[in-house]
Amino acid sequence: MNAVIRTEELVKRFGHVTALDHLNLEVAQGETHGFLGPNGAGKSTTIRVLLGMLRSDGGRAELFGADPWKDAAELHRRLAYVPGDVALWPGLTGGETIDLLGRLRGGVDRARRDELLERFDLDPRKKGRSYSKGNRQKVALVAAFAADVDLLLLDEPTSGLDPLMGAVFNECVKEAAAQGRTVLLSSHIMSEVEALCERVSIIRKGVVVETGSLAEMRHFSRSRLRATLKHPVHGLADTDGVHDLVVDGLEIDCSVDAAALDDVLARLAAAGVAALTCEPPSLEQIFMRFYGDELAAHGVREGNGR
Amino acid sequence: MTAAAAEVGDGLGTLAGTGKLLRFQARRTRVHLTAWTLGIAGGTWLITPVLADQYATPESRVALGATMNTPAMRSMTGPAEYVAAYADSIGALFANRMLLWTGAMTAVMFVLLVVRLTRADEETSRSEVLRSNPVGRRADLAAALALSAAAATVLGALMALAVLGLEDGAAGGAVLFGLAHTAIGLVFAALTAVAAQVSDSASTATGYGLGLLGWSFLTAGVGNAQENAAVWLSPLGWSQLTFMYTSEERWWPLALTLAVAVAASSLAFALVSRRDFGQGLVAARAGRPGAAAGLRSAHALTFRLTRGLMWTGAATLLLLGAAYGSVLGSADEFADSLSEAQRAMLDRGGSTMAYSFAATFIAINAVVAALFGILVIGRGRKEETVGRGELIAASPVARSAWPGSYLPAALFAATVTNLLGGLGLAATGSGGDGGLFGKVLLGTAIQLPAVWTLVAFAFAAFAWLPRAGWLRWLLWVWSLLVIYFGNMLDMPEWLQDASPFHHVAAYPAQDLEWAPLGVLALLAAALVWLGYAGARRRDLHFS
Repeated sequence: MNAVIRTEELVKRFGHVTALDHLNLEVAQGETHGFLGPNGAGKSTTIRVLLGMLRSDGGRAELFGADPWKDAAELHRRLAYVPGDVALWPGLTGGETIDLLGRLRGGVDRARRDELLERFDLDPRKKGRSYSKGNRQKVALVAAFAADVDLLLLDEPTSGLDPLMGAVFNECVKEAAAQGRTVLLSSHIMSEVEALCERVSIIRKGVVVETGSLAEMRHFSRSRLRATLKHPVHGLADTDGVHDLVVDGLEIDCSVDAAALDDVLARLAAAGVAALTCEPPSLEQIFMRFYGDELAAHGVREGNGR
Repeated sequence: MTAAAAEVGDGLGTLAGTGKLLRFQARRTRVHLTAWTLGIAGGTWLITPVLADQYATPESRVALGATMNTPAMRSMTGPAEYVAAYADSIGALFANRMLLWTGAMTAVMFVLLVVRLTRADEETSRSEVLRSNPVGRRADLAAALALSAAAATVLGALMALAVLGLEDGAAGGAVLFGLAHTAIGLVFAALTAVAAQVSDSASTATGYGLGLLGWSFLTAGVGNAQENAAVWLSPLGWSQLTFMYTSEERWWPLALTLAVAVAASSLAFALVSRRDFGQGLVAARAGRPGAAAGLRSAHALTFRLTRGLMWTGAATLLLLGAAYGSVLGSADEFADSLSEAQRAMLDRGGSTMAYSFAATFIAINAVVAALFGILVIGRGRKEETVGRGELIAASPVARSAWPGSYLPAALFAATVTNLLGGLGLAATGSGGDGGLFGKVLLGTAIQLPAVWTLVAFAFAAFAWLPRAGWLRWLLWVWSLLVIYFGNMLDMPEWLQDASPFHHVAAYPAQDLEWAPLGVLALLAAALVWLGYAGARRRDLHFS
């Protein structure tokens, strides 16, 4: 029983709209888990059910083995949450807000708080109304990272942060992971998830369509292979597992299923290889595989699907 | 880029779209405008016959004048020139006693209106959306001031009409009375427009505007009490210095008021292009780097966030109570002069007219106090819709604390405002009669169970059906209708019974009855329980 978060066939409806449609999600203790999907896929709804703000219409949700709806207040002692769009009280300064959130949780570690203010380069004396979006986000991030909790629920936490602050954020998440904290990082910034998460769940229209470690996902995906050959190669187009083949004289460019790599490389070797690159699929390409049809519906050609 | 740099060479362009904005703003503020205008002019219309009948004879007016011509009374009313004219003119008496108070309420109306149309909109980024359209940089200020001018004109006309019947052959005095309110509205709108450019936020701008009103009150009070030039420093004083209805009647002090309004408007227009959008000319002061020791729970936060609203309500009702109280002592023997409609509204069964009067104002005071309580509940809903509450709801905080803390905050606000309104009424209305003072306070206190019922009903509506904003106000609107029109329209008893206030004895006009108060308190408690149950069960809808 080491799953910090577990949902089974979780259903949430808003009127006629089904936001979560039998969603299964599992996050093990100590893992940094990426939660990927575009806007409206159900990421925030899932997190809000886990926070006990929304009541599920079916299935089960568990947080630390308990019911997030019934035991919300107790469970919140063990977690910190950063919403995607942080709204602050216009008349309270950032420092007041951070202190309040810390005290609600039982106390503020001054040293930790001041260190984080420094790292995120945040002025705690400004009133909520005068912070930019990025700075509002920082207020919530400082409050969350300063809290001594077992679980961080981060819902698109870096929207509005500049790249420099994005790097500070990545550092903080890595530190939290090193301290054994569990992190659920919802995002649609692939590089962030790739840099931080061991395991990833991809959500689409309220269903988790793929979940696993990045290594596993790569293994089941196609690599992009480009080569310059010494002699023409024949029959590559007919080989199982070769896709999107473009042959331009001695230059070839194709996508290859992991299972077919052996076979393809043998054929290339037979023709003689002058140069070869083989890239594993990026997370973005894996992600796009699940959303290819939606892109097509929006008139975008499957640019990354090769 | 500073706005001033972009200013070079564009004239009318900065006003583009003013007409369209004006129509839009008028539509958005129609409730605010209607409520304030009718409140001020309607209250005046209601009070006219009270004073007119009480002081029908020159002898009674001279007798009153003798008591009014002291420094203390002059500071609460106006210059001695009016008192000297009491013998000849009931209008002079009326203007002397009313102008300071109706003028102050007019000032509040225009301060709130202008801040709402300028800085408050910038903070919600509503006007950011507007300005990205082909709308000039100065257009929203122009629209706000144009709308204020129109509202001030309408208010002035209604005020003139309200007092027109007061004194035969003194139409000039009535027109001057009306124009005085127009001028006060214009000058406070213009000065607030300047404050809105200077200050760093909408709430600071409101503070400056109301501070200006305090200054006007103080200087007029000191100037009139000591009969010196301090009154010339007061925008409210300028209207008093017209000496309307007296033989010294003069119009030019209003020209001074208008000149200041025009100058302040020009200044505001000059400043608006010198500051950046959403910023004041004065940069925001740095705030506290950490929270005060007391800010450590959801309840503490809610009380902190709603205290401004509570003090606004308390100050408003204290002022209103004091204003109404100032006519209470003179309300005794005038019933014949009332119109049928006025009498129906004031009739609280038997007793003296002063008691009926007091009971009516106590009831109105209580309804307004409940309004502030329900507004606090509305703040709770707003915390949810704009998403601010999400950080609290994700903390180890029970539903009974968030959003539940909005109930105690609302009950507290309604209770304090109700009692302070009663205190204001008792202070100026009892005229040193300790018995009446106590009666007015007791009459105010027994309204509390009904006030709590309205607030608890709003909380239960918020807890169970948060999206139905109208439901929160349903019982309150109904209670207001019953108080204003119940007797007048011969409303069936069972319809009137739906208003909690209908079960509260109209003390001091009627005898006390304790049993209905107990029932109301129980009803309020049941609604509180229902509300907390709803708050536990429902989804929280953050944006």
